[in-house]
Amino acid sequence: MEEKQKSGKLLEVKDLHVSFFTPAGEVKAVGGISYDLNYDEVMGIVGESGSGKSVEAYSIIGLLQSPGKVVGGSITLEGEDVLAKSKEEMIDLRGNKVAMIFQNPMTCLNPVYTIGNQLIEALKAHDKKVSKEEAAKRAMEMLELVGINNVEKRMKQYPHELSGGMRQRVMIAMGLICHPQLLIADEPTTALDVTIQAQILELMKDLQKKTHMGIIFITHNLGVVAEICDKVSVMYAGKMVEQGPVDDIFYKPGHPYTMGLLRSMPRVDAESYERLIPIEGTPVDMLNPPEGCPFAPRCEYAMKICLQKMPPYVELGENHRAACWLRVQEQMAKEKSGQADAKAGSQTENKEAGDHE
Amino acid sequence: MAEKRKKVLGSLQPDVEDILEWNNLPDNAFEPASAQEKESFIQDRKSVSYWKDAWRRLRRNRVAMVAMVIVILIGLFAFVGPLLVPYGYDEQIRGANNLHPWHYSLEDQARIDAYMEEHNNTANLTPDEAVEQAKAEAAAKGEELSRIEEAKIRANAKASQGSGEGEVTEAAAIEALGIKAKPFGYSDDELQRMENGESVFPHVFGCDTHGRDIMVRTMIGARVSMIVGICCAIIVLIIGAIYGSISGYFGGKVDAVMQRIVEVIYTIPEVLIILLLGTTLKPVFEQFQNSGNGPLQQLVTTLGPNLISIFIAFGLLYWVTMSRIIRGQILQLKQQEYVTAARALGAKGGRIIKRHLLPNCVGQIVTTTFLQIPSAIFTESFLSFLGMGVSAPMTSLGSMCSDALSGLTSYPYRLFIPAAILSVMILCLNLFGDGLRDALDPRLKK
Amino acid sequence: MAKYILKRVLMAVITLFIVICLTFFLMNAIPGSPWLSEKTPPQATIDALNEKYGLDQPVIVQLGKYLANIVHGDFGTSIKMQKDRPVLDIITTMFPVSAAIGIIAILWAILVGVPLGCLAAYKRGTWVDSLLRVICTIGISMPGFVVATILLYLLAGGIDGFKIFPTIFDGSLKSYVLPCLALGFYPMCYLSRQTRTAMLDSINQEYIKTARAKGLKNKKIIFKHALRNALIPVITYLGPQVAFTLCGGFVVETVFSIPGLGRYFVQSIQNRDYPIIMGTTIFLAAFIIIMNLVVDLLYKLVDPRINLSKGGN
Repeated sequence: MEEKQKSGKLLEVKDLHVSFFTPAGEVKAVGGISYDLNYDEVMGIVGESGSGKSVEAYSIIGLLQSPGKVVGGSITLEGEDVLAKSKEEMIDLRGNKVAMIFQNPMTCLNPVYTIGNQLIEALKAHDKKVSKEEAAKRAMEMLELVGINNVEKRMKQYPHELSGGMRQRVMIAMGLICHPQLLIADEPTTALDVTIQAQILELMKDLQKKTHMGIIFITHNLGVVAEICDKVSVMYAGKMVEQGPVDDIFYKPGHPYTMGLLRSMPRVDAESYERLIPIEGTPVDMLNPPEGCPFAPRCEYAMKICLQKMPPYVELGENHRAACWLRVQEQMAKEKSGQADAKAGSQTENKEAGDHE
Repeated sequence: MAEKRKKVLGSLQPDVEDILEWNNLPDNAFEPASAQEKESFIQDRKSVSYWKDAWRRLRRNRVAMVAMVIVILIGLFAFVGPLLVPYGYDEQIRGANNLHPWHYSLEDQARIDAYMEEHNNTANLTPDEAVEQAKAEAAAKGEELSRIEEAKIRANAKASQGSGEGEVTEAAAIEALGIKAKPFGYSDDELQRMENGESVFPHVFGCDTHGRDIMVRTMIGARVSMIVGICCAIIVLIIGAIYGSISGYFGGKVDAVMQRIVEVIYTIPEVLIILLLGTTLKPVFEQFQNSGNGPLQQLVTTLGPNLISIFIAFGLLYWVTMSRIIRGQILQLKQQEYVTAARALGAKGGRIIKRHLLPNCVGQIVTTTFLQIPSAIFTESFLSFLGMGVSAPMTSLGSMCSDALSGLTSYPYRLFIPAAILSVMILCLNLFGDGLRDALDPRLKK
Repeated sequence: MAKYILKRVLMAVITLFIVICLTFFLMNAIPGSPWLSEKTPPQATIDALNEKYGLDQPVIVQLGKYLANIVHGDFGTSIKMQKDRPVLDIITTMFPVSAAIGIIAILWAILVGVPLGCLAAYKRGTWVDSLLRVICTIGISMPGFVVATILLYLLAGGIDGFKIFPTIFDGSLKSYVLPCLALGFYPMCYLSRQTRTAMLDSINQEYIKTARAKGLKNKKIIFKHALRNALIPVITYLGPQVAFTLCGGFVVETVFSIPGLGRYFVQSIQNRDYPIIMGTTIFLAAFIIIMNLVVDLLYKLVDPRINLSKGGN
């Protein structure tokens, strides 16, 4: 496989707004999120169910189903505006430049066609000239690449004859068969057994190294993020509450929600009696989003201002920022005490916050 | 400002404007919020009860609402209508045989008759009269008619009389005279009475061969159809619900045996069995009817043997789908935790079915029951059309259509009026049932 | 597979047996003797007739005899309509006519109904979808005799000077058109509705999302991925439709005076010719049960998910 290694920005999402126009009213599933993704980079999007992470990913690949609609912002892929593309151009883009794999490999493969048929079809959709034999050869190569043995036999099998992990491998093979620049993985390991999860993650890491593609990895599992991602965006109720390099997120979380997520995650290196602490309460009603910070009602540090105004983003480190009034307060204190270096300040401040916990 | 803000948000730089704004924050901004404040922050949607929510959804479904109104109108037509019309469904009105739903005033009729008399003097003769006339003519000439000739004359007269294919038909006469028909049918006698100042209720749809008012018969027919539909739906509901919930709730061997029975019944061709039941039970019931004069016999007489066989057939065969649906629902619900919880609390089987399982599948039960009504009406009309429905003189829409079939070319409205009411009724019931399903089963919504 | 087929066949045989017994006992429950008509024949004649037709023996013996006879293809003889003509002979002469009309009707219903359902699903939410939905809902709300008589009136001489098709069936090609049209209308509408539902169901499945993510063209998604999956449940509706069409034949044959088994069956009911009623009921029931069996097996064959060696279900 010849992979021309590219560098720089692969994907740029700016202030993306996505709404669902339901009979009951407009649901602002995604309310203004922005991020960059470079070539050869893996970004995790973390958040609980309904936080808008899948919706955001679907809008990149143009799979948003009615009544969902992108209502604002821009998505730029390799310098091209994705939202401005026509339907035909989007069809050409899908699977070719951007591929997507889904959560449930049990239902994502068409039960009435063989694995081979579905793989070859994915290839032929974008490469009309490829001959049948050539396509079959490449499909088998791809299956071998994702670690499936006995490929000749597998090609003729139906999805129900394969195990879940195997099916997810097929899904990955199908996604990668056209060598996409960007792979969007929507909770690809959630529906699998833990041991299989690890295998699939290992495989994806491996493939990423080989192909140098950018990956957007959507999950609610921070453990998976630590395993595979370079940087992380934390989403809550359609808003991006924190964003930064994976180490910063894990060791210097800036938003109470991220802290909560970390505390609710079991850790291998934890002291044996440390308890997992769940985040209390339920997410806000997206049909009727409140004015202030959506996490405020569940936040133990909630302040009066949190209920009135959405906090702005505060720079906490290089490429690390969070939207929280706590951080704003610290920043202001810093400024007042005359410390000019905001970067260093926020870091020390952060430590203080940690102590505060 | 808004534009600038968007620009800034794209990058990972801090928001300068926002930082500047920080100075304008209220003094107490960074005080901790109270629990109460947090509570009131979440604006929950009002929780609406299941039925209210369903009704709201149903009301928004315009097609279903229109269908409901039409069903109600047909219901009024069927149940209140006969009280307003002064004719009975089996009352044979004298002189009103084959009355069209339109009429000509007495003068116009006289003109038509005169015109026809003038142009064609055999057209109005009965076959016998025509033969008599021909015989007389022949006798005058000193000849005798052969039997073949006689038959020819008879046939001619019959044909011209029956189909109006005389030399000058009534229709032609009307056209020639330029007479316009007036709506509603009245017999000559009634027209005479109206002339005398009496008020006569019109035969809106005309009358049939026996001089029975078609509108009243349609009303009664629609009433029979509706009653059959509702009764069958109730029978199906009761048997299906009991069978299905027992089978689903107990599971295991009981379920296995009960499901084998269901499978067998499922493959039995119902229509054939209904026809068979109709044929065989009819004489049985007739014998029973004649055996005495008790209340049971009275009941059989009022319902008619065929209707009873339809009910029996529904009770025997049609509950299968319903029982399957309910069993499926119960099997599904049985896995749910609240049922396990109820069981753990020591609730008895019957109580669990009543309090926990049935309320949860009520939406589907209501829908299936309701959709059984049009299906029963459909079957009843089919049987009545084949002459297996209600017994004369009682009528139903299907048997009216069947009666009208022989005179289709001359009196098409006799068939089309009951057929239209029947079809519209089934259509609206179907549409309303569909709306009901959409409203009651929110899971089916996208 | 073999086990599954065996199980189904056994089921069909049991059902058929129940139908036969039901038919037999119902016939026996009829009070009075079949020989009683307008004029009562002398007792000696009745006795002789009873003996001839075996009606003087106990019911169980009669049932056993009847079953044995059926196995040998003997359904008895007509007692009124066509005296002493074997019922099986009547069935074999009359059934082909009914079958021809039924097959044509079902064929056109499938060939038109399924594509229309796909079209409606493909164009869902547009006026095409709405129009088709209205037509099909009306179609399944009109009893067969209404459709038949409307066609008869409109196209066979009800309107002056407008007569395309003959009123009475005479075996000519033209005379097949109206009965088949009338008979197939309900199944067409029904299949179209079911296809639409199944298609929409299929379109909402995850594998369609995968297909879209692969960058397949819309047409390919609909016609390759959605349709194949949608057709599987549609096949299950075919079995009941065959039965329905067969019984719809009673009405259509009566309206168009077709000399088929359906009309004859109705006439035999009106004339109370019991051997014919029994024979025809059993024959038609057997036919419907076998059709259901075939459709059932077909369904299992089309769906690769079902592993037949495990016995199904």
